[in-house]
Amino acid sequence: MVENIVLGIGLTAMAGALATVAGAAEDTESDIGSQGDPNSQVQLAPQMGYVHRIFNKAIAGEPPAYGLWVALGAGITGALLAMGVNVILALIIGAVLTTLVQGVYATTAYLGRIASLAKFGQPVYVDILKSMTTVTMAHAFIAIFTTVAMCYLMNAALGHPFPLALLGVVWGIALGAAGSATGNPFYGKERQYQNQKFGAGVPVAASGNIVRYAEAGERNSLDNGWFTSKLGGPASGVCFGLIVFLELWRTVVFEQTWVWAPIFVGLILVIVFAILDRYIETWARATYGPYVKEASS
Amino acid sequence: MTVTPKPAGGVGMDWTSMGIGILIMIAIIGGAYIMFGATSVFYALIGIIVGGALIGFGVHFVPVGGAPAAMGQAPGIATGVAMLAGGAGLAGLFGGAWAAAMVPSPGIWVVCMAGAVGGALMMAITCMFVNVIYVYAMGIPAASGKVKTDPITGDTQTEYKSQGTEGHGLPFVSFVGGVIGGFLGGLGGTLIYYMLLENVYTDKALSDALGASALANVTPIAVSLAGMFAIGLFLVNAVLAAYNITGTIEGPHDPKFARWPRAVVATAVASAVCGIVAIGIVAV
Repeated sequence: MVENIVLGIGLTAMAGALATVAGAAEDTESDIGSQGDPNSQVQLAPQMGYVHRIFNKAIAGEPPAYGLWVALGAGITGALLAMGVNVILALIIGAVLTTLVQGVYATTAYLGRIASLAKFGQPVYVDILKSMTTVTMAHAFIAIFTTVAMCYLMNAALGHPFPLALLGVVWGIALGAAGSATGNPFYGKERQYQNQKFGAGVPVAASGNIVRYAEAGERNSLDNGWFTSKLGGPASGVCFGLIVFLELWRTVVFEQTWVWAPIFVGLILVIVFAILDRYIETWARATYGPYVKEASS
Repeated sequence: MTVTPKPAGGVGMDWTSMGIGILIMIAIIGGAYIMFGATSVFYALIGIIVGGALIGFGVHFVPVGGAPAAMGQAPGIATGVAMLAGGAGLAGLFGGAWAAAMVPSPGIWVVCMAGAVGGALMMAITCMFVNVIYVYAMGIPAASGKVKTDPITGDTQTEYKSQGTEGHGLPFVSFVGGVIGGFLGGLGGTLIYYMLLENVYTDKALSDALGASALANVTPIAVSLAGMFAIGLFLVNAVLAAYNITGTIEGPHDPKFARWPRAVVATAVASAVCGIVAIGIVAV
């Protein structure tokens, strides 16, 4: 039993590490493609007279898109495994084929979204399509491969009853939810509105006036991916990694002792995160202070 | 600056629509009782309806700011209502399904609580990271746009809102709302899964339906079917509740939260319709 638990902890750590990489790649991919909520500003900018060279492939939110892609990758991998293909090869083929689907999605989504802005004078840049699509595909491959590999560990090694494709749906949607929740504000506020004051939200009146120029020439989405991969991406990775690791850890380690033990451990973890959250909130209030001296009614 | 809550619009119930919906639900429940009697299959339908209503209610707790939150223009988590609730509820379902697979079976309470805590934990981590990003990466403190003071901590909110915004980040009441939403979503989704797995997709029912000779062969099919229908029902209910919210919500202190009775009725009716289909594929 001890050996099982030790093996389980090792697998849990590996799944958590895979999830961390997946979260970071997912957020960077979605930021390069403007797939999260900040896509609204990319779409709004030309309507306000700000023509730009930012990639936009947001025709679905991150969670459903990643639910589809990871489920597809997991389904193909599962089918190949059933045919007796080597595990690593099956994982790679599954992720590669899914990445091709993502590439088709990204291409048609960009053309569709940007072409709809023609009446506002926004051109479709073919060089942007060529250079950005392949970069989002590369990041998507990493995210899909690591998430499907993580699902495989859960199914084959840790004994979760869900088949691979179903685990793909569950964790694909959770990956997109965690990545968009954590990474979107960093891309939306800190990068697209770099010209606004630091330490304050973007005034509604400034909507659409996104930063369009880089150190040299016009800014494109590779610049945005470079920026968000420094903080938004890794933070999303740690968030998703913690979700996966703690979800598995509390079950693998404590399930053998008492059936209620993982549940109580989960509740204790929720309380710990609540305390941490409250500390962060009060720290910000004490450190940054209010925007105005006193509240007017 | 004045705290001006957006119009709560449409809190009232449309009794004609509600009445028609409830009639459909009663007809389905009555039909199921006539067909199956007071058997485990009938109780599974009741469990699915309760689970669906729990999801619909739970979604209203989840603080979702959508696109404005991504620009620090409104409080909440910067993603869609149904998407975030889906992520949390399905993470919960993962834990619940794992508990349900234990030998011997730990029982309905352990399974459902495992799902509920899984959803709550996912939301707790995600909500904390939202504040980590806002505070440490963007230098913005949390502030609600809908209330002057946090109902739980009593912290004043108005002076921490930056100019030209409705607030930003997650005040503590929104964090608690997110955890409760994840808890209820995970609980509802897992209840639906457990009801289908234990009461409907039993070895005998599936063996009869599929003509499988060895009973053990149908267990993975049962798990897959119950999982697929649980995910499907979850998304149906989360999207219905999201339509009821219309866009963004800060959590239980938001005026829009008062709309929950309408969503609970709608999700119960939708769950009854979907539930009878899920049951019908093997039990009829």
